Amino acid sequence: METIIEVEGIRKGYKKRKSKEEFIAVDDISFSVRKGEIVGLLGPNGAGKTTTIKSICGLLVPDQGSIKINGYDSVKERNKALRHISAVLEGNRNVYWRLSVEENLEYFSGNRGMRKKESKERIDQLLELFRLEDKRSEIVNNLSRGMQQKLAIAVALMANTDVILLDEPTLGLDVETSYEVRSLLKHIAEQEGKTIIISTHDMAVVQDLCKRTVIINSGKVIADENVQHLLKLFETSAYEIQLKETLTEEQLTKLHHQFPIFNLHDLTLEVSLEHEEAIYQIMNILSLNQTGIETINRTQVNFEQVFRRLVKEEAVS
Amino acid sequence: MSAFLQVLRVNTKKEFIEMKRYLPNTLSLLATFYIIFLALFFGIQVVGDPAEASSNTQYIIVNYVFWYFAMMTLQSTGGAITMEAMRGTLEQLYMSPVSAWRILLARVFGMVAIHLSIMIVLIFSSMLTTGEWLHLNVGAIIPILLLTIISMIGVSFIIAGISVIFKQVDAFLQILQFILMAFAFVPLSVAPYLVFAPFVKGVDMMRHVMIHGYTLGDFTWVDYSWLVGNGIFYAIVGVIVYRSCERLAMNKGLLGHY
Repeated sequence: METIIEVEGIRKGYKKRKSKEEFIAVDDISFSVRKGEIVGLLGPNGAGKTTTIKSICGLLVPDQGSIKINGYDSVKERNKALRHISAVLEGNRNVYWRLSVEENLEYFSGNRGMRKKESKERIDQLLELFRLEDKRSEIVNNLSRGMQQKLAIAVALMANTDVILLDEPTLGLDVETSYEVRSLLKHIAEQEGKTIIISTHDMAVVQDLCKRTVIINSGKVIADENVQHLLKLFETSAYEIQLKETLTEEQLTKLHHQFPIFNLHDLTLEVSLEHEEAIYQIMNILSLNQTGIETINRTQVNFEQVFRRLVKEEAVS
Repeated sequence: MSAFLQVLRVNTKKEFIEMKRYLPNTLSLLATFYIIFLALFFGIQVVGDPAEASSNTQYIIVNYVFWYFAMMTLQSTGGAITMEAMRGTLEQLYMSPVSAWRILLARVFGMVAIHLSIMIVLIFSSMLTTGEWLHLNVGAIIPILLLTIISMIGVSFIIAGISVIFKQVDAFLQILQFILMAFAFVPLSVAPYLVFAPFVKGVDMMRHVMIHGYTLGDFTWVDYSWLVGNGIFYAIVGVIVYRSCERLAMNKGLLGHY
C-alpha cells in the first residue's frame, strides 16, 4: 500500500515563559501512514500528541524533521499538502454556532475553493450519510452535542481529502452517539477509502476502529504496532488474583521489585507477567504471610490495559 | 483566482448572514454612532462660531463618518481573529489550502461592503438631521474612496497580525479609536506630516470633494501620487507584517490559543 503520510524525525521545543528553559514536546518522532489505514495516535496527557497532530496539519512548524502529506512537505509546500488533509481539532467548536448546518458546510467548502455546484452535491451526500437532512436549515446552536460533532466531521469530509485527522472524535458523547460516530467513521474508511488518523483517550474507539496504533509518551514513539497484534501479545500474561487478606508492606515491596507493573485495588491484584512461570513467583510472595487466595483468573485483555501497561513500562524503563 | 472568488463568495455571504442574525446588534451600533454624532453636532451649535456653523457641520459629518468607517475596517480583521480563536474555528481557517491572508482579505471585503452601506445610512441621516447637504459627486468619491480603503485594509492586516500572536487586543483597539479620530478629524492643512499616516490623504481629498465640491480634475498629480503611494505602501506593509506574525505564531504554536 502507498504511503500517504511520512513523519520523519520531528522535534519541537517550547521555551517556558518564566525560566526560559526549553521544554521538548516531541523528540525525534517518526512514523508513516499508508493509504486507507485507520491509525490511532495515543498517549497520556502532555505526551506530545497535539504537537504531532498540529504539525501534521501544518499549523505548527517543527524545529527539526519533516512531514510529507502525499509527497508534499507540510512546511515548504504547505498549501499543496493541505489539499490532501482535513481535520476536526476541537470537535463541535470547529463549526460556527450561529450558522445553519448547510451554511457551515457551504462556508468551509468555499473556503477551500470549492465551487457552489460541486459543494451542493457533496452537501446532499453528506447530510444523507450523517442523517442530518432534516436539520439542514437548523442553526448549529440548537443542535445536540452529538449532532454538532457529526457536523464537524461532515465539514472535514466536505473537501473530499485523502486524509482526515480527528482529535477526540467521541469526547463528551453519550454511548449511543459515540457508537454512531464510530460506525460512521468505519463506513467512511471502508466506502470512501479515506485514511483516518484518530487521536483519542477512548480505547474502545481504538480497539473498534484502528488497525494500527502509534503510542507516544514523553515526546517519543514507544509503540507502533498492529492493534490486534498488541492485544495478542499481552493476552497470554494478564492475571487477576482475588485475595482473602490485604498484603503486608514487605509483600508489596517485593511485588514492586519483581513486577513493576501491577494494580491492586482492595483485594484484587491485577498483574501482567512476561512469562507464565512467573505466576509461581507471585505465589511465593503471597506465601510469605500466608495470604489466602480466593480465585485466580486469566483476564481478557482490552486495549486500555495494553495502553496503560506500555506507558507504565516506558515510565519504569 | 477562481479559488479566491469562491472564498470571497462564501465569506461575503457569511458576513451578511451574521449581520442579519445579529440584526439588533447592528442596529444598536448604528444608533450609538448616530447618537454620538448628534452630541457632536449640538455641541458645535452651542460652543462654535455661529458664522461658521454651516461649514463646521459639514466638516463634522465627513470626518465623523470616515472615523466610523476607518474604525470598523481596521478593527474587522483583528476582531475576527480574536473571535475565531475564542470560538475554536481559527485553526480550521488556517487549514485551508487557500492562504489565510486571502481568506481574511475576502472577509474584509465583505465587512467593507457592510460598513459602507452603514456609512451611507449615517451620511444621509446626518445630512437630514442637520439640513446641511454635501456634494455627493459619485464619480469623484468612488475612486478616491477605493484608494483610501486600500490603506485602511493594509493597517487592518497589521492589526490582524498582532491579533494572531496576542489574541486579546481589546485594550489596544480602544486606544486605536482615538488615534483614528485624530487621523479622520485633523486636516492636512493643520498637520501636513499626517500625509504619511494611513488614509489621511484620502479623507482630506474626500473633504475637498464633499464639502468644497472638487472634481477629480481639481486635484494635482502630487495629490494622486500621495493617495496611491500611501495605499500601496500600507497594503504591502500590512501583508508583510501579517505574514511574518503568522509565521511566528506557527513557529511558537500560538495559532488557536486564546
